[in-house]
Amino acid sequence: MLSPRAPARLSAVRTILVGMAAGAVAWAAEPGATVVNFRKNIEPLLKKYCYDCHADGVSKGKVSFDTFSSDAELVGRHDLWFAALKNVRAGIMPPLEDGAERPSAAEVAQLTHWIKYEAFGLNPSAPDPGRVTVRRLNRTEYRNTINDLMGVEFNSDSEFPPDDTGNGFDNIGDVLTVSPLLLEKYLQAAEFIVDRAVPKVAKIMTETTATGREFRGAGGAGGGGAGKGGGGSGAPLLITRPAKVSRAFHVDQAETYKITAELEVRGSFDFDPGRGTVICRVDGVEWFREAIAWSEKKTLSHVKDMTWSAGSHTVAFEIVPDGAKEGSTEKAAEVTGPNGTATRVDVRIVSVQVKGPLDPKHWTAPANYARFFPDGPAPADAAGRARYAAKLLGAFAARAYRRPVDAAHVAKLVEIARGTYTQPGRTFEEGIGRAMMGVLASPRFLFRIEAPLAGSAPVADVDDYTLASRLSYFLWSTMPDDELIRLASRGELRRELRPQVARMLADPKAQSLVKNFIGQWLQVRDIESVPINARAVLGPSARRNRDGRIEFDGPMRRAMRSETEMCFDHILKEDRSVLELLESNYTFLNQQLATHYGIPDVTGDQMRLVQLPPGSPRGGVLTQGSVLAVTSNPTRTSPVKRGLFVLDNILGTPPPPPPPDVPALEDAAKAFKGREPKLSEMLAVHRANKLCSSCHERMDPLGLAFENFNAMGIWRDKESQQTIEVAGQLVTGEKFASVSELKHILTHERHLDYYRCITEKLLTYGLGRGLDHRDTESVDQIVDRLEREGGKMSALLFGVIDSTPFQKLRRVNPSVTSIVSESPTVTQVSTKVSP
Amino acid sequence: MKKLPTVSRADAALQRHLALSRRQFLRGVGVTLALPLFESAIPGTLRAASATAAAGGPMATTASGAPLRMAFVYFPNGAHQDNWWPAGEGSAFQLGKTMEPVAPLKSSLQVLGGLDHQNAKAGNDGAGDHARANATFLTGARARKTDSADIQVGVSVDQVVAQKMGHLTRFSSLELSCDAVRKSGRCDSGYSCAYQYNISWHSASVPMAPEPNPRLVFERLFGSGKGAERQANFKLRQSTQKSLLDFVMSDARSLQSNLGAHDRAKLDEYLTGVREIEQRIQRAESFGDLPDPQAEAPTGIPTDYGEHMDIMYDLLAMAFETDSTRVATLLLAGDGSNKAYPQIGIPEGHHYCSHHRNDPDLVGKIARIDRYYMDHFARVLKRLDEKKDIDGRSVLHNSMIVYGCGNSDGNRHTHDNLPILLAGTGGGTLNSGRYVKAGGRPMSDLFLSMTDRMGVKGVERIGDSSGVLKGV
Repeated sequence: MLSPRAPARLSAVRTILVGMAAGAVAWAAEPGATVVNFRKNIEPLLKKYCYDCHADGVSKGKVSFDTFSSDAELVGRHDLWFAALKNVRAGIMPPLEDGAERPSAAEVAQLTHWIKYEAFGLNPSAPDPGRVTVRRLNRTEYRNTINDLMGVEFNSDSEFPPDDTGNGFDNIGDVLTVSPLLLEKYLQAAEFIVDRAVPKVAKIMTETTATGREFRGAGGAGGGGAGKGGGGSGAPLLITRPAKVSRAFHVDQAETYKITAELEVRGSFDFDPGRGTVICRVDGVEWFREAIAWSEKKTLSHVKDMTWSAGSHTVAFEIVPDGAKEGSTEKAAEVTGPNGTATRVDVRIVSVQVKGPLDPKHWTAPANYARFFPDGPAPADAAGRARYAAKLLGAFAARAYRRPVDAAHVAKLVEIARGTYTQPGRTFEEGIGRAMMGVLASPRFLFRIEAPLAGSAPVADVDDYTLASRLSYFLWSTMPDDELIRLASRGELRRELRPQVARMLADPKAQSLVKNFIGQWLQVRDIESVPINARAVLGPSARRNRDGRIEFDGPMRRAMRSETEMCFDHILKEDRSVLELLESNYTFLNQQLATHYGIPDVTGDQMRLVQLPPGSPRGGVLTQGSVLAVTSNPTRTSPVKRGLFVLDNILGTPPPPPPPDVPALEDAAKAFKGREPKLSEMLAVHRANKLCSSCHERMDPLGLAFENFNAMGIWRDKESQQTIEVAGQLVTGEKFASVSELKHILTHERHLDYYRCITEKLLTYGLGRGLDHRDTESVDQIVDRLEREGGKMSALLFGVIDSTPFQKLRRVNPSVTSIVSESPTVTQVSTKVSP
Repeated sequence: MKKLPTVSRADAALQRHLALSRRQFLRGVGVTLALPLFESAIPGTLRAASATAAAGGPMATTASGAPLRMAFVYFPNGAHQDNWWPAGEGSAFQLGKTMEPVAPLKSSLQVLGGLDHQNAKAGNDGAGDHARANATFLTGARARKTDSADIQVGVSVDQVVAQKMGHLTRFSSLELSCDAVRKSGRCDSGYSCAYQYNISWHSASVPMAPEPNPRLVFERLFGSGKGAERQANFKLRQSTQKSLLDFVMSDARSLQSNLGAHDRAKLDEYLTGVREIEQRIQRAESFGDLPDPQAEAPTGIPTDYGEHMDIMYDLLAMAFETDSTRVATLLLAGDGSNKAYPQIGIPEGHHYCSHHRNDPDLVGKIARIDRYYMDHFARVLKRLDEKKDIDGRSVLHNSMIVYGCGNSDGNRHTHDNLPILLAGTGGGTLNSGRYVKAGGRPMSDLFLSMTDRMGVKGVERIGDSSGVLKGV
């Protein structure tokens, strides 16, 4: 990095840089010209609008324009100009003051233009793609990728430590570190997943296992003999009641089968004198009978080889209580325990398993076999096995790495496989599994390795495989599917970009974008864990809730999360305006949430589109339970947090963080002389303090506008028996009298701020890196597109996808044309591995 | 059940709660509580001690030949000042209200006052005291203010030691956390969340992500499965991993040569991990069979926070007792945590309460929260005190356990006079049973005096240290 503290050397270095980077990251104007233009056009603007607070010994916010050793140094301060650009465009600077002149639109445009194209030296026709650090898969991406690649669920949330986040998202390459612990987890996960997913033998005996639940019949505790059993081990058959249950097993071959029946006897905590007999019959012929008496927990197991004809065979169980007649379904006299309670000895059918035919000639391929071994079992000869291994592993690795692999790499994988399958007692399949573990532990799988198209230009389009991965991890949070890879392998993905994105958005996997982007941008992920104490929030009114519940419970929290997600999804699917995220006459509700909001005529648990009554303060994420709750404290609202949320996540103009040593407010609070001050009064004290006021004047009115909603998002007219005043004013001057008016201002007067904010958030998420001043041009182009296309979601989404940082990358080392494969690729990636 | 001395003065709700969680816990891991020292720990320990002696000076070993351990436990949001600090000084001191639960062990601990973290202060970096409190706590270094790019702070004291003497035990160090749920969005004032959820740093840019899941900690230490299966599973896993390490190592190297500097650094992180696992597997054979902790594996993260703390403390204790490691860190919650404590009747968030503005109600709640944390810490100290080590002393005697926070007064975000409790006698090298006022020395000086006792030579500086803190 160039140090801004070395101005003299700086310009010299720059001149050299300009020469070197000509055509790539071009400086629009010579540094000298930039300084000249600064003196001529920009300094007069600064003098007119900024110097009152930022020059001549005044340095509000630690900013002064006249304390630099040279103009060149001032011009080179990108951080300063980046802040100035943001503040001037958002109308925050110069501050609105009575009688003070405001810069004209032309003056703002002039300043903006100079900052972007001269101070930053951006080239509008060739923006800088920036640098993205190689990203490792985060927990969500890992889980989804494993699911797609291996067809098994892996609970990465409980098996891996949480990912660190940066810039508000958990997919930022720079903070996705790899600690030794995590690497250990990756190795274990590779082993665990392969063990679950990949068959270890070519043929297995067929087996059918029926749990107790599947046995139906008459009698027993539940009347039907099945149904309300515990934990899959079947319904209890009470030893005091006659019962008969059975299940039919179908076999294709007239052969010998191994039948295993497992029962469990369980007494209640107290000793119980109940006794009886359980009889098992196969096709009406008695197999075994057991006398049953009280036992704390006892497992009965019977195994027998039987020769069955092809067709259906019935395994039946009968309970005969002592004193009752075999075959009768009449209820025996109730036996009571010592303390007069009904007896509680029960027998459960845990399972009945039919394995076979036992003769190996009838064995079949295990489930999933074709997925991993599409050409069937391996040939017997060593050369044939090695060839088959290379074919399988080449295709698997290419799919796992999301790009072709070279022959040398495949050869190493085959070596691992052979090292295992040539050992005595180990199968070919086990060897392939071992090599697959290597693939899942490889950095090529765990990291998203990107490459530019061949060539030598310092900035180049990413290659098609990289683009496929960028798209799929952006829209699906998982690996590219076969179709994306096929298009990439033919070099056709760019041509097919639009229909492919449409196809991807229509896929259920696009829910990942909704959940992961919305979940983090609007923090709705937190709704299920945010500690809100319903009893404290509702106070004396707590008891008024229906059926006495005062919990802010799981179903309610999930409904809130769904509401926000479904609103975003609706706008995405129907390509509506992103402004509807802030202001709309509809939302998504079920009965519980509608009741919570006081909206009538919504019944049932199903979330559905609901037109809001006229004048409803709902509609738009800011008055949804999710956002209102995650911006609250556990027992009460926090107007400061809510105001900050709007500034940070909607207007994109977060105030600077509070000063490190916040002055104590206790003295100010004494002014109320023991009286409990209203929240708004407390905040007024806040704003009266000079140190606090510059930011709190921006945050507090925005937050107070939502005071009619308590910490659970329920409407209230009063707070602590006092009326709520919500009227306020934005720092840019717009006045509002209600929360609905505030939403209207955000979607009209301030809509460009919101466009810029949502663009920055989605671009950050899509690129997996934080933005800086060099991204200004890319962001501006997307904002322009949103404005041209009426705020449509497609303009935003394609704006991101078409942007330079998404489509291109800086070539690391122009002499290396391909990062991944220098030897010719031997494997067609499009080889289908899935079943 | 025997009544815990720690709850004698706590309110009734807390007592009920502790009794309950203790019962639940006994059903889980806690059956080890009254067992004698695990025999399996001994051979490893003795061998380790003699091995180091041969290498020219024993590391992490007491004068009596027992293992010497160090641990760091972080609690969030500073401490209630009046209740934290003792009255008196030196050996004539009375514990404050917060520390009443550890009163029975008063002679085995030191309250350390006057230790500061200059690098946790704002300096030119502005707000972000919580992020800095966490990041600086064990590094003594200033965290670079960045949301993502170029994260940098410093190597933490536990890792300085672990990297020197980690080869003596199965695990060079253990990183634990009770903070499993991350908040979405940004963390503190422009600092990446990495600073707030990690206290242990392997290098200046790579944190040691702590493990919040007790089951996974247990399986890592003692193998997965039940009883005798554990040893077999462990061996199988090691042989599988061994067969893959060469492959992934050469794969990472071949990739690395074509990457830019930042990407190369990422692959370096990967390679470091591979090498550590490789070394651990190489060492494993010399340690013999896995230690048997005589306990069932816990099932997962308990819903009750107190129970979660107890289990993590117990795992830390088991790791020390079996000499699986001699270095551990436990982050109870990241600084700035707004956790609520309904189990002790505090529905408000911790962070909210900590900015109490001297409101008596909130001040009282902070006092109770501090006490709640101390109750759980006292429980593990009691366990370690009752556990005999190979030299006949207690495991606590042969340990140095720092319990503290990088924020002093949560209300004002100060980083001077940090609340630090040093438990254990360091194998007899610590002059315990005192309240020591260091008088404004860097907290990092304490780290130097600990690395010194661990026998780790050649550490001249940790963070902003000015020299070994004498008189502890």
